[in-house]
Amino acid sequence: MIIFKNISKIYPPNVVALKNINLHIKPKEFVSIVGRSGTGKTTLVKILTAEESSTKGRIIVGGWDITYIKPREIPVLRRQIGVVFQDFKLLAKKTVFENIAFALQACGTDQQKIKEIIPQVLKIVSLTGKENRYPIQLSGGEQQRVAIARALVHRPKILVADEPTGNLDSINTQEIMDLLLKINEFGTTVVLVSHNKEVINSINKRVITIDNGEIISDQKIGKYLL
Amino acid sequence: MISSSIFRIILFAWQSFWRNIWLSIVTITIIVLTFISINFLITVNVVSDAAINIVKDKVDISVYFRPDITEPQVDEVQTYLSSLTQIKEINYISQQEALEKFRQAHREDQVIIESLEELETNPIGATLQIRAKNIDDYPEIISILDNSKYNDLILDKNFDDNQAYIGKIKEFSDNIRKVGLFSLGVFAIIALLIVFNTIRVAIYTHREEIGVMKLVGATNWFIRSPFLVEAVFYGVVSCVIAIIIIYPLLNFIQPHINSFFLTEEFNVINYFNQNFWKIFGLEILVIIFLNIITSVVAIRRYLKV
Repeated sequence: MIIFKNISKIYPPNVVALKNINLHIKPKEFVSIVGRSGTGKTTLVKILTAEESSTKGRIIVGGWDITYIKPREIPVLRRQIGVVFQDFKLLAKKTVFENIAFALQACGTDQQKIKEIIPQVLKIVSLTGKENRYPIQLSGGEQQRVAIARALVHRPKILVADEPTGNLDSINTQEIMDLLLKINEFGTTVVLVSHNKEVINSINKRVITIDNGEIISDQKIGKYLL
Repeated sequence: MISSSIFRIILFAWQSFWRNIWLSIVTITIIVLTFISINFLITVNVVSDAAINIVKDKVDISVYFRPDITEPQVDEVQTYLSSLTQIKEINYISQQEALEKFRQAHREDQVIIESLEELETNPIGATLQIRAKNIDDYPEIISILDNSKYNDLILDKNFDDNQAYIGKIKEFSDNIRKVGLFSLGVFAIIALLIVFNTIRVAIYTHREEIGVMKLVGATNWFIRSPFLVEAVFYGVVSCVIAIIIIYPLLNFIQPHINSFFLTEEFNVINYFNQNFWKIFGLEILVIIFLNIITSVVAIRRYLKV
């Protein structure tokens, strides 16, 4: 599903963010990438979503070599990978419905279909009835669930969650983790980036540990090592 | 598909315009002020131009004939002059009328009045008052008269007295036009820079939104288009508001222009009415074009996500 081959990322003048990353994530896997702040976890996600390009190596997503992806192809890639961020990245001036709809409108989905899909994803993330609220009128957990709903509307094969619980309290954190596990059970590959020890230790899934830009551990059913 | 995309773009533009109403108000206010300032300068230019034309129109030259020249001879000169393309109008003043005018002009001067009484014949000849189409034509008309067979009939011409006066008016009007155009140009550049910056600030406030749109898979075209439509909204709404403000202002200043020129020959509202599309159409096109270019440039840096 996702293959990193000898990926390195060096920021000018000579800051090494990632060093020879070799990684193979299979379809329907739930993988946690852990490490301290500034070890290169987010850089890895940015390379996966084509926000950054690697300095060296190759990256293949769903059989598509995106190492030298063209700018016009990036939107197509991003519609195939759902991404959830720590700061939610919702459009503040759009309602819950509009935020989710935007991802579909961006790829030309007709309005009738949008009206059919959105209630379904809102149901999955338990936000039915809150479609007309603006992000500011929601709690942090609810905002993150809107972001997850938006990431899911394209029925992506891969969902990348970059510190999705970083801004949430423990109750909301648990709800979001349950939701990610549920999405994984439906067959979506989930890549979770986190430095939350309790969260990682509680889910008993594959854990890849990065330190100083290098993979130092890859455990099938792992624990937070650092 | 295309029509639904266009509908969405207009809808997004409208939502952004409406939901960021304070930002929209500030942007529109700046553009309205720009419109008003530009039109104020246009008005100043047009009024000064009209003032110069009114003054120019009052300039004429008088050709004084010898007292012994008969009316048919003067008529002949008048007919000859009328055939010249440079002539706008010729006014004939007979010997009797000329005498009457002279008397009126010197009615306080007893010596002159008594001297006139003592003369048995009218010492003042007929006069032709000549008005040219263009102030530049006077020297040529004089030269034609000087070189014609009628030169001997003429006692004097007051062109030499008027020449300096005409030259001054011409110089003044040329300078006013140059200064007007220069100040209009400078102000237009300042206005363009202000509008450019205002739109840049408006786009800057949307930078995170643009980044999020990119991350959820929107194409550059899909992100950019609503901003361009919004830029058109700004232009159209600002122009309409500016027109609503400018016309009452013109109505207010018109009586002052009339009393200043002591004539109702020039009507600034008529000028704006007659050149409505030329003035506002061009302004709105320039503002929309500028808004669009600025938006494209300003968005481009935030699209690199």
